[in-house]
This record gives sequence, C-alpha cells and structure tokens, in this order.
Amino acid sequence: MKPEPVQSSIFPRTDWAGLGQAANADTARLDQLIRQYWQPLRIFLIATFPSLKNDADTLLQDFAEDKILKDGWLRKADQNRGRFRDFLKMSLRNFVLDRLNRADAKNPPLSLDELEQEFPQPENSAEEFDLAWARTVLAETLRRMEADCKNPAADQPRRSHFWEMFRLRLLEPVFNDAEPPAYDQLIEQFHLKSPTDASNTLLSAKRIFKTHLNQVIKEYAGQDAATAAEIQALEHFLNRLANRD
Amino acid sequence: MQDSPPPAVTVKTTDMSEFDSSSAVFKSRANKLAALLATGEERTRLWRPDELAAIFRHQMAAPMLVDLGGFDARTANKIKTLSEAQGLLLKSFADLLHHPAPVKELLELAKDFAKANLDHPESGLPGEIAATLYYASIAAALVRLDARISQLPDADLQRGLKWTMNQAWLDEETKALLATAAEKLSGKPKGAGA
Repeated sequence: MKPEPVQSSIFPRTDWAGLGQAANADTARLDQLIRQYWQPLRIFLIATFPSLKNDADTLLQDFAEDKILKDGWLRKADQNRGRFRDFLKMSLRNFVLDRLNRADAKNPPLSLDELEQEFPQPENSAEEFDLAWARTVLAETLRRMEADCKNPAADQPRRSHFWEMFRLRLLEPVFNDAEPPAYDQLIEQFHLKSPTDASNTLLSAKRIFKTHLNQVIKEYAGQDAATAAEIQALEHFLNRLANRD
Repeated sequence: MQDSPPPAVTVKTTDMSEFDSSSAVFKSRANKLAALLATGEERTRLWRPDELAAIFRHQMAAPMLVDLGGFDARTANKIKTLSEAQGLLLKSFADLLHHPAPVKELLELAKDFAKANLDHPESGLPGEIAATLYYASIAAALVRLDARISQLPDADLQRGLKWTMNQAWLDEETKALLATAAEKLSGKPKGAGA
C-alpha cells in the first residue's frame, strides 16, 4: 500500500522551495502529518490554553512553520521515536508558553485568575488530545481501508466484500449497536462457498484493517517496534478511559 | 436436539452508502474506539457460539473440492476422480459422511483437512466445526467401511466421539453416526445397554 499523496498544504505561508532540496522529503512528510493531526493539536491547544481559542489556528500554523519546520525538530522527534505523540504535545505546549512569556515581557502580566484559567488541567487536556489523536488514527485507518477495498483497480475481484463484511460484522455492531447479520444471511449475500471461505473473508478484512492501522501509525511512530508500542499505548489509553466512563 | 429455527431478528444496519466511518469514529466514546481497535486482533473469535449450527450446515453442504482441493493440484484431481468414481457422485461433505459406502481416501482427506484446521493457529474455521468434521470422518470409516483411519488410542477416540455428539448444535444424523461409531468401538452392539 502506498502512502496517501500529499494534497494541498494547510500551510499556505510556508515557502517549501526555500527550505532546500534535502529537507523536502521531511517537510512534506511533516506537512502531511500535521495536516492529518491538526484537529487533535487544536483540541490540545484550546484545552490547555482556553483563552487562546480564537488564535488557535494561527498559533498552530506558527508552531508548524517556526518551530517544527525550522528548528531541527524532526531530528529531535526522530530521536524520540515511539513517543512522537508526547513529543509533539510537549513541543506545542512549550511553544505557546514561550509566546506567552514574550507577550508578558511587552504587556502587563496576567492576573492570578487568568493564569489559573490558562493552565486548567494538564491531565485533562492531554487526555483530550490523546482521544482526538486515537479518533484521527482510526478514522484515517477506516478511510484508507474502505478506499483500498473499493479500489476498482485492485486485482482481487472480491476485495469489496472484505469492506462490506467488516462493516456488517464489526463496524455496524460497534458503532450503531446493530445486530450482526446471521451467518446464513452472509452466505447468501457474499456467495460464500464454505465456512473456510466465510472465515477467510472476515479474517482478510481484519488483516486489511490491521495493515492500514499499522501504516497510519508507522507514518509518525517510525519503526515496527515503535508502531507496535504505539498501538499498545492507544489500546491501554482507550481501555482505561472506557473503564472510567 | 433438533435445531430450532433462529428467532426473527431485525437487522439494524445502514445502507452501504449511508455508513460514514469517519463520522462514526468522531462521535464515539472510548469504549467503542477500544472495541474497534480490538477487532484487529486475529485471536478474537470470528463467529458466535449460536452460529455454530448454521456453520456446520454450511460445512456439510460445501462442495468437497472447495475445501479439500486446497491441498494441491494433484490432490484436487484425485478428489474429483474419486468423488465421481463408481457413480457415487459425492459432491458435499454430507454426501461423503452419510453415504452407505464412502471412499476411504476421501474420508482420510476430509479428516486431514479438519486436522490441519484444528492445528493451525490462524485457521478461521471454528475449532468445534473442525473437530466435528474430524471425528465424523473417522466415525464414517468405522461405521460404513469397518476401517480405522486414525491412529488415536481407543480411549481418546471414544472421548472425542462423545464430546462431539454432545454438541447441542449438531444435527441428529451426524449425532447418530458418531453414536454408532462409539458403540462399535466399545464392542457393544447398538441398543445392548451398559
């Protein structure tokens, strides 16, 4: 599976040509990543600094251009493989604090009340960020899986069955509390020749999901080991949150 | 136990075009996201226990060539030849297991197919179905051909036959075949009592 092509940038002010040939691959990769995870970053920024809500998009854009793309940030992030999410979060927080400190130097300091509002619940904002991040990862995984299965150029004529089977047996029951269709109904709908055929169809669907999940995470986590660790971390996080709900 | 017809179920699904996975994910709480993430685990059971009767019916009705033909081209040819030999016209596993004079080699192939699925950690075929096909093949050879196609010790074979015939979802015809094989193995004629 090929990575998704980089579409138009969300950073129109970025001068990609000026960043040099050597950095092109890295910057394009970062651009794509940040575009993909813009929403979790925005949620984290607003949850951590509620009073900056109206400036969130501008701050994020500045963060991407001034901090991430021009500060050897990617090299630092690469050294922290497996903790990309935390590194990104911490970098954004430090960037905004730095901006606030600079603003403080020019303007009168904030009142104590205002300061308290600025830093409400670091843990909560981190959780909101992680939850939004998990949602982004899963939505992107499903989007790619659906596109892959429905790709008319795919050499497997029954590939669209994988998505449909996955949707009916797993997605609809999970998200819509739908009753999974009876086995007999599946035989008819998908022209399944035997239970092995049925099981292989469902197993293939699960494998395609897993492959795309790995790919989406690998794009920011790096090596296979870090990707596996990140999947485990997301599982632990979601289960912890689910048990608390 | 006779299979009772499944209760009428209203299937709450959306049309293919209506399901928006992205929207579903972004509206969902952590428990649903955790459940989705867990679906990637291959070790999770594919089918529910209440689907075993339907799955076994499907297995029995499945053309042997579909499953057994997967071994290799030579075996596939052999199956085709054997199943068409002597006017037996054995198409499905049910045809084979309930035939009065099945072909021993086909029973062996059916047993091997079942065993391969039982032993394979990534096989999607439920263990109960593979085990039933395994013991039913051995039972058919014992009952119809007076032949042993398994090297299992008698005690293990008896245990396996009894476990299989006690499966609630199993059809009466296969249960009777397994029961006859168990009696034959114990040397007691049918209806002789304990």
